[in-house]
Amino acid sequence: MRLPAPSSLRQQLFCGVTLALVALTAPFPVVQALLHALLVLALAPRPGAALSGALWAVAAGWVLESTLHLYPHLGGTAWANLTVVLLAGWMAGRWPLEGLRGWLARLAGLCVLHGLLVHGAVRLAAGPHPWGWGWLASLLTLPLWGWLSWRLLHPPTGTGRR
Amino acid sequence: MALRASRWRWSRAGWQRLALVLLWLGHGTWVLMGPASGQRWSRAGEAFSRPSQGLAARWAERRLAQRDAALSLAELRADRTRLAAELEQARLQAAREAPRQAEADEAVRLLGLKKHIPLELGAARVIFSTRPAVFGGLILDQGLDRGLVQDQGVLVPEGIVGRLWSVSATQSKILPADAPNASVAVMLMRSRATGVLQGLGSGRALIRYVSNQEVVQVGEAVLTSGLDRVFPRGLLVGYVAEVTQGDLELRVILNLSAPLDRVSAVLLLPPQPPVEVQPPFLAPDVKPSKKQRGTP
Repeated sequence: MRLPAPSSLRQQLFCGVTLALVALTAPFPVVQALLHALLVLALAPRPGAALSGALWAVAAGWVLESTLHLYPHLGGTAWANLTVVLLAGWMAGRWPLEGLRGWLARLAGLCVLHGLLVHGAVRLAAGPHPWGWGWLASLLTLPLWGWLSWRLLHPPTGTGRR
Repeated sequence: MALRASRWRWSRAGWQRLALVLLWLGHGTWVLMGPASGQRWSRAGEAFSRPSQGLAARWAERRLAQRDAALSLAELRADRTRLAAELEQARLQAAREAPRQAEADEAVRLLGLKKHIPLELGAARVIFSTRPAVFGGLILDQGLDRGLVQDQGVLVPEGIVGRLWSVSATQSKILPADAPNASVAVMLMRSRATGVLQGLGSGRALIRYVSNQEVVQVGEAVLTSGLDRVFPRGLLVGYVAEVTQGDLELRVILNLSAPLDRVSAVLLLPPQPPVEVQPPFLAPDVKPSKKQRGTP
């Protein structure tokens, strides 16, 4: 059963709130990394509207790096986010979801890819840097925020479980 | 093929794809430029803006030079105005102080004369002059209150002035030596011939009772003889200006050496001074330009 896409307004609203939370949780880098992954991997990608998702992902990358105050040259995270969100949007259009398990599995793959891309791009942009624990926290808590994003984007209609 | 071509027209989706590609490439370029890109961009920007910066620097220097010139000109003008004001103030001050300065100079000169005369001399200030009037004189600021009496001799460093003619309670009047009714016992410096001075006015006087046998030269100094008991012997009176032969006596006219019209302070000799005191005036031995023998 192919799921209907969430409404654009709802998705943009979630993206905006999550981006604000990314900026506000700067004192807590792990939480910030979770929200960042949630925004880039789960909320921003949207099939057929790649530009808006790309802009949200780029904004998330710039906000994250700006609030971290770690890198001498910014832009690596935004570039990695842009790449991943384009890939995720393409995947969403190419392989439509049919359930939570597939969503989580896709998120897991994207999360690993995102972590690698982010660190590679940041290395290119700013040079060697500490990895931190955000990527591991994102991966470990993926079921939580994956389920949460699933519920936010596809709320139950009351007719049963999806 | 025709379907793919139609999909890639410049539709809204096409523009979005182009924006995405540019966004991705732009970010990628930015990332690949690395951490030193800022310096590279800065260097490129500096190289690009060097001509305009040079022009701006020259313009700023020109403006600065103009401002400095204007400031220096303004400062010079302000200095000039200030100096002019100070000069004017100094002139006013000098003009204000001039009488006092002249009086001080006169006092110094009187003090010097006083040191040379071994007599008890007093000093007085001339407060008014009635010389332009007939039988006019000089009014002093002292009188009986300072112990002045009639017939005290009055002199200044240049020579004798006259004698006290009348003394009131607080003022005195000098009878100048050139007054028609003045008389001073004098003697010629070289011939030692004595006579009596009689005023002719305007700083001139006539010496009477000089014998035709005397030899008088123009320019010869005339001193007091001390015989009148008003002035001691040897005080300078003036210099012979003209000598003419008379029937019985020489007509000797002299110019008084004391500037009677410009006297502001005088010394007062004691009453009835001794005839002989050390003469304070060493009259210069003036070589007369025109010699004239008094004898026929």
